[in-house]
This record gives sequence, C-alpha cells and structure tokens, in this order.
Amino acid sequence: MVNVLERPPVRELSESPAVGRRPVARLTLPTLLTLTAIVTIVPFAAMVLVAFAPPSGQTFPDALNPANFTFENFSKVLSSSDIPRWTVNSLLYSLVSVVCVLLFASMAGYAFAKKRFPGREIIFWAFLATLMVPFQATLIPSYILVSRLDWVDSYWGLIVPTLANSQAVFLMRQFIGQLPDELFEAAEIDGAGEWRIFTMIVVPLIRPVLATLGIFVFLWHWNDFLWPLVIGQSGKMQTLTVGLATLQTQAVPINQVMAGATITVVPSLLVFGLLQRYLTDSIAMSGLKA
Amino acid sequence: MLVLFLLFRFLPVVGAVFLSLTDYRISGRWTFVAIDNYTRLLSDSLFHQALVVTLTYTVIFVPLTVLLSLGTAVLLHQVVWKRGFFRGVFFLPYVTSIVLAAVLWKWIYDAQDGLLNAVLGLVSVGPIDFLGQSGSVLASIAVTSAWKGFGYSMLILLAGLQAVPKSYLEAAMIDGAGSWQRFRYITLPQLRPILFFVLVIETIGAFQVFDAMYVMTGGGPVRSSYSLVYFLYDSGFKYFDFGYASAIGLVLFLIVLIVSLVQRRLVGRDD
Repeated sequence: MVNVLERPPVRELSESPAVGRRPVARLTLPTLLTLTAIVTIVPFAAMVLVAFAPPSGQTFPDALNPANFTFENFSKVLSSSDIPRWTVNSLLYSLVSVVCVLLFASMAGYAFAKKRFPGREIIFWAFLATLMVPFQATLIPSYILVSRLDWVDSYWGLIVPTLANSQAVFLMRQFIGQLPDELFEAAEIDGAGEWRIFTMIVVPLIRPVLATLGIFVFLWHWNDFLWPLVIGQSGKMQTLTVGLATLQTQAVPINQVMAGATITVVPSLLVFGLLQRYLTDSIAMSGLKA
Repeated sequence: MLVLFLLFRFLPVVGAVFLSLTDYRISGRWTFVAIDNYTRLLSDSLFHQALVVTLTYTVIFVPLTVLLSLGTAVLLHQVVWKRGFFRGVFFLPYVTSIVLAAVLWKWIYDAQDGLLNAVLGLVSVGPIDFLGQSGSVLASIAVTSAWKGFGYSMLILLAGLQAVPKSYLEAAMIDGAGSWQRFRYITLPQLRPILFFVLVIETIGAFQVFDAMYVMTGGGPVRSSYSLVYFLYDSGFKYFDFGYASAIGLVLFLIVLIVSLVQRRLVGRDD
C-alpha cells in the first residue's frame, strides 16, 4: 500500500528522442510500440465487449458483433447483487479519506516542517519507521484493535484507521519544508495567528501537491482490497472492489461479472482521463506509488 | 490527530511484535508463549510452501515486470510519434485495481471459454488450463500483476532515460558506437540507480502478493499459489490464530526490511 523508499533524484531534460536512428528503426519501433499498446488494451476492450454482449450467445467471437449490444447484463447484475450499496461504500471510503487525509497530512506536515516543539525529531522518525512496516504485518493488530472498539463491519472501522497515513504526512512535510521561512515570519510579525497562517499561506501554496496527493489517496482507497475484505464482513459493508471479487466466485454468468467489472473501473477511468498528466508527472517527480 | 496516529499507526506495530509472542485467540484470551510461534513456523510445512511459492513468484515477476517496463520506456523514449497517447495506454491498467485485473485475466485464462484459449484455438493449440496446473499458475498470475503494474515503473524509467545527457550519446556516436553499444555502455550505467530503485520497489511488492491469488486461484491448485500473505490471512481470519498470524507478518516485515537495507547500502551514496 505504501512505498517506503525514496527515489533517486532525476534531472528533468527535454523530451526529444535519443540521437541517431537508422532508417529501419523508424518503422520497426513504432510498429512494436503499437503492438504492445494493443496487447495492453485488449483485456479492457474484451471486458467492455463481453459486458455489452447478449447473455445467451457465446462470449467469443460473437461478442465482437456490435449489432447485438445490450444493457441487459448491467441491469441484471445491478438488480441481483448489492452493487449500488457497494458503490456508496466505496465512495464513502474513498472520498471521506481523501478529505481527512489531506487535512491531517497538511497540518501535521506543516507542524513537522515549520514548527518547533519538544520531541519533533523523534516523533518524525517514528513516523518514518512506520513507513517501513508493510501494511500486512500490522493487519492482525489493527483488526483486533478495531474489534475491541466494536467497529468491525462499520464505516468507522473501515475508514478511521486508514486516516493515519504516514506517507501523506511525509510528503507534505517535504513539500512545506521547501517554502521560505520568511513568509511565515512576515505573517507572524503582521500578527497572523496559527490558523490564519495555515489557511491563508500554507494551503494556497500547497494546492498543487494537495491535488496530486488527493488523486493518489482516492485511488489507494478505491482499489484497496485486503482491509475492506477483513473489515466489511457482511455483504452490506463490502466495497465495490471486494464485491467484484465475491461476485466472480458465485455462479454469476461471465457477462454479468464483466458488466460489474466495467462499473467498478469507471471512477478510476474518470480520474485517469481528467488528471492523467497530473498523475504521470507526479510519479516521474516524486515516485509516489498507488 | 496525534492520538489517531498513536492508536492506528504505532500501536499496531508494537502490537504485532507483542501478539507474535502470545497465543492470542478470538476470545481475547492469551498467554505469553515467547518464541513458540516462530519455532512452530520453522517446522510448519505450510509456511515452507508459502515461502517457496512467494520466492518463486518473485523470481518470475520481478524480471518480467522490469523488462516490460524498461522495454516500453525505451520504446517511448525512441519514438516521438504520439508519445503522450501511448504513455497513457501503458499507464491505464495501473489506475485500476489488482482485483479487476485478476477478474479479467481469470476469464482470459479460462480453459473452457477464455479469450487466450480461443486465440490459441485458432492455431490449433490447447486448450491449456493456465491457472489449473501447478507448473503454469504462478507465471500466469505474474503476467497479470505485471500487466496491471508495469506502467508505474515505466514512467520512472522513462524519466530516467530522458535525464541521460545527450552530449554523452552524441560523443559516443561520433566515436562510432552503434545503438546497442550506446544503450549498453552509456544509457544503462546512467540509469543504474533508477533501475535499482524500480527493482527494489517491485521486489517488495512481489513479496506482498495476495489479492491476485485470492481472486484467481484461491491459493490453488493444491496450494501451488499460496503466498506468505495468503498464509497470514488464513491463519488470522480462517483459523483465528492471531498470535501465529502476527508472527508471519513479522517475518514478512523482516524480508522487506532486508530488501530495503540492501538497496540503501548499494545506492546509499545517491541519497
């Protein structure tokens, strides 16, 4: 779930290609590129085709005939499973987490970067240390904790523990640390209080990072599997990702499974379509991993 | 907020160590058993199986995904034509969940009406039960995970390729180096720290494999895709042997820690 290593720095240079290519390369490489792209996209294309194919027919190659396309699989899977409820759960799990993680991480990041308080270094190193521990290693104690709080199978148990996101705090601290100290000193001399400095100076300056981190937190939660699987034990509390996994273990026809799969992938595709540039650039710059 | 982190970030870490030294059961009753869980692990054949499966999977997955991401990164770097579009296509699977990838590929691999066997059928091969045979199941799952995740490493390697100083390549060309020689003796050494980072990230990810196996095979056939995290999950949530499951988690942590420490030692000077 989290990436614990710092990426070695990369100098950003021009996007022009390497020098000196032989004429042969001019055709073979684009062909190779196109073929790889087709192979990459085929599973998605097949998913959509099968999702829209008539349920009675063979899945392949009849599925390729657009004349037979139907929404039947979608309406069937929506009525026979809990997909609407799972969608609400997934949206709650993702969106509440995005808002809270951004708020907590920017406040904690600001404190670690710019405030002096006793034990700051020790607390920060403790944060870093928790980044080294893979999520699965703390799965059992986290589950026991949630069950002691009587939060199993509830939104509290699902969402609250994931709000303590060390990686987000770390990222925010790195970014806010780069802001010039003079800014904060000037604001203090002008008589601005803590909250005013945070909302009027810190937040506007870190807006681009907040956007990037927000996208990642959304994807982490939307695509998360193990934690919602363990916490959301009744069908009503499953997320869409967990629901999709249970859907395909039951005797649901493949057309309907693919229709369900298509539904789960829509939000990710929306995020991707709208913010692709943002995502790809931030990975190249910071090594964030979803 | 500090309470939140203390409770849900630090306490579980400390709790994992503590639990692994007890026989904590679902009733909440426990006694201190010292290192019994660990000695039990050493002689547990399921643990050996899970360890072998995880290592085999890692050995298949890491070279596969690194070669795939390096290959596509080099292609994207060399071809200017529609670069943004192709980069987007390769990155697309990365924003979806591994569960989605597993559901899609489970159908693709299906022996009866899967896509892959339909294509192989056209050239009169198969049908092959990719996920039903212990010989092919781990490679099939590795291909699925690589398809889902290679876009991430590709982006990082692409950024690295673009940062290789062009003057070096031009100088080599003037000296008569061919394209392979330029790649082998200039690009690759320049890319080394980044390649190493990608290698470590993917290795750590491979050791944590679970979702794809849970969805595609349920750990089968006959536990031939039963990973460490699967073993942890079963011990915890099927047999409710929380102390034992915590010990497995700490073994996983130890492996990940060693992999990262090796990385720190090898490229420490770059930080």
